[in-house]
Amino acid sequence: MSRTKSVLLRAAAGLAAASLVLSACSQQSNTGTDEDSGGGDNKPSSGYPEVENTDISEGKPGGTFRLGIVEPVAIDPYNAQESEGILVAAYLFTGLTHTTPDGETEPAVAESWESNEDCSEWTFNLKTGTKFHDGEEVTSASFKRGWERVVAKASASDVAYHFDQIEGYEELNGGTANALSGVDASDPAVLKVKLAKPSCEFYIRTAHTAFSPMPKAAGAAQNQKFNDQPIGNGPFMMDGPWQHDAGIKLKRFDDYGAADKAYLDAVEITILVGDETAQQKELDGLNNGQFDWARIPPNQLKTTREKYEAQDGWISKKTFGIDFLLVAATKAPMDDVKARKAVSMAIDRDAIINGVFDGSRAPATSFVPGGFKDAYQPDVCDACKYDPEKAKQLAKEAGLTEGTELNFQFNTGGGHEEWTAAVKQQLEKNLGLKVNYSGVEFSDMLENQQQPNSTGIYRLSWGADYATPGNFLQPLFSTEAIGTDDPNAPALGDNRGRYSNPEFDDLVDEATATKDEAERTDLYRQAEKIAIGDDLANIPMFERQQFRAFDSKKWANAGFMDFHENPPLNLIYQK
Amino acid sequence: MGKFITRRLAHAVLVIVAATFLIYLGLFAIGDPFASSGEKTVPPEIQEALREKFGMDQPFFVQYLTYLQNMFTFDFGVDFEQRRDVADMLANAVPATARLALFAIAIEIIIGLTAGIIAAVSQYTFRDVLITVITTLGIGIPVFVVGIGLRAGLSGEWIFPAVPRSFTIEVPWYQEVILPAITLAIIDAAFIARLMRGSMLEVMRADYVRTARAKGLSERKVIGKHALRNSIIPVVTYTGVSLGVLLGGALITETIFEYQGVGYLLVRAISQQNAPVIVPIVVFAVLTFVALSTLVDILYAYLDPRIRLH
Repeated sequence: MSRTKSVLLRAAAGLAAASLVLSACSQQSNTGTDEDSGGGDNKPSSGYPEVENTDISEGKPGGTFRLGIVEPVAIDPYNAQESEGILVAAYLFTGLTHTTPDGETEPAVAESWESNEDCSEWTFNLKTGTKFHDGEEVTSASFKRGWERVVAKASASDVAYHFDQIEGYEELNGGTANALSGVDASDPAVLKVKLAKPSCEFYIRTAHTAFSPMPKAAGAAQNQKFNDQPIGNGPFMMDGPWQHDAGIKLKRFDDYGAADKAYLDAVEITILVGDETAQQKELDGLNNGQFDWARIPPNQLKTTREKYEAQDGWISKKTFGIDFLLVAATKAPMDDVKARKAVSMAIDRDAIINGVFDGSRAPATSFVPGGFKDAYQPDVCDACKYDPEKAKQLAKEAGLTEGTELNFQFNTGGGHEEWTAAVKQQLEKNLGLKVNYSGVEFSDMLENQQQPNSTGIYRLSWGADYATPGNFLQPLFSTEAIGTDDPNAPALGDNRGRYSNPEFDDLVDEATATKDEAERTDLYRQAEKIAIGDDLANIPMFERQQFRAFDSKKWANAGFMDFHENPPLNLIYQK
Repeated sequence: MGKFITRRLAHAVLVIVAATFLIYLGLFAIGDPFASSGEKTVPPEIQEALREKFGMDQPFFVQYLTYLQNMFTFDFGVDFEQRRDVADMLANAVPATARLALFAIAIEIIIGLTAGIIAAVSQYTFRDVLITVITTLGIGIPVFVVGIGLRAGLSGEWIFPAVPRSFTIEVPWYQEVILPAITLAIIDAAFIARLMRGSMLEVMRADYVRTARAKGLSERKVIGKHALRNSIIPVVTYTGVSLGVLLGGALITETIFEYQGVGYLLVRAISQQNAPVIVPIVVFAVLTFVALSTLVDILYAYLDPRIRLH
């Protein structure tokens, strides 16, 4: 009962906000077109500037860093999946490779790696003599043990699919084998991996916490004692078991050998309950001295920024994610590229950002997000600029007329009511479409997207699993990722818009088969130009931007987020 | 008396079987807990492995009977989210909720009875009016207002632990329990006071009380021995029901104070659609409720000889 009520209330609030946005955008539309006709690149009129301090200085040991998180699903790498679980797992364990905040892959336990010509066989040379927290030496067998522990059928791990390129994955995951046949650990200092699906980006995947090494003490995956107090090889170790719903204590591992030791004596992670109020509690905790680091509730970005930017305790960064509109690209009315571009150009992203988000988001003008320094093409989506006149013209050419019906669905409960309502009103106002706008549970929306008769647009977002632009292109736009060849069967993959372009597919395949990183990035850029620039297969809305505040009077090297949007615990030291 | 108890117990078993079946049907059989629910599709082989791990690849009745069978050995399986032993989670939460419930009941009985008796004995005096006004307010204020107010005003002050707690600061259980217990007790104490006042006034007009007075017994004996015993019956019923409700978990109050009891566990389990945690908690709530109302019936029989005779 109360659930339906709150949904209704939120929808009502959304409509109210949408009308605000509408009035804002009618004011702005004039200035917008003026600037466009004047030519030249106009600066985005919305979005918070990026602020971070990545200068690393040397510190001295000491201090206890405190922060709040919500209860993770798991901190044992066999099932760690969301940012909170990965925060703990990533500092308890060190894998073969490590992803920098800028999305670069650098050596960790692996000193170096190489592959054969077609990237089907990989050799990782390991640093020798590094240790687990219990003193056991980290060898290639530790990695084989860890990987098999994730993939084994009995583990039923949510993250096992990350290993699906490796030879023997299907057998181990299906329960017909008890080892990963493609992983060879016969030399303790060398890990050899054979891939059934060759990829020149395999080394990037190994930075995921699922690929962590495991000591003998780990045993099978379902092992409550180890799950709550994992023994890893990372810069920090557990100080007592995970106290569920209360907290997790970490202390520095003094025999850490894979990289420089951490400075912090300890990390105190308080578990806050209630996803919706956690951010508020984090910020309250930072303000009253209980925490040293906090996320910011959206309605307090402005005041928090004013307070903490002045003391260099403010972080604002575009990261590896995007909000977009999924388009059913094979069904009318959106099967025509002109219709897709018309819809995109009829949306005033800046007005929505200012009206709904208080200016705290960045309008997306590409699909591969700004976190990827080299692959980022900020203007690849020329149809992401607001241009109602051009939109009308394109709509006319595509046969979208006054009263053409367009389905637009979003999921309730994720805070998407307001901005989607604004999009609906803009489409009605600027193109005269009849928008069938509906909010449903996420799982229902997903099912609707999968159906062969799915039409129109859906709100969706996407985040990176691995630091490669391919992770934003292949799963969402490739023919293979539709998950079926049959137009009358449900699309079970992530490409539920069913966009398919052989030219794009070839470029992405070529990229994963290219060893040289710069060349590969270039191929991805070309692929994005086709899927977004030419075909606009999905409509980019906002780039993921994250904000943090921290206690800069007390802590140094804390002015940026790691790849998982967490504090860089291995570098922070007390001033 | 023996027959009476047997019949009540038979009812209780029926209620439990019906409750588990309905709850199980609702939570496990409808909807697939392992279908994709995030931005990324869960690969089919992963979904299949999950279903098999949690025994959900079996036909519904096999699942249900296995579940029922395991339940009698206190094996509730592992939860969907963190895969912890549900029996362990309950073993931590149940004593916390029991402490809270007993504490709250003790407070409300002491305050409620005292206030009710004073009001009845001094009917229509200033004391009576004052108590009536206060209790009306007490009944009228929603529990979340009391809870949030107390939390905002007192958390971190004096002996009350801060909410949310910093987990490295150990707090003795009685400190932790005191604010949520007061929150729960305020409304019930007000209700008990009114109940007590009304029923006491009624009893004091009864013939046997007049007889007792006529016999020349002291006022103290008339009220303490004769009137009190009879007028307390509605309070016993109410307290029994109230205890039953509280033992099933005080959802709102426990959540406001982040008190690690059954109610809070249930709230979180519901938001995660974590059926293996929800089912035993609801069954436990039904069970305590049934047990307590049975107990109350038996207490009646003790307090009122007329019931005993039936």
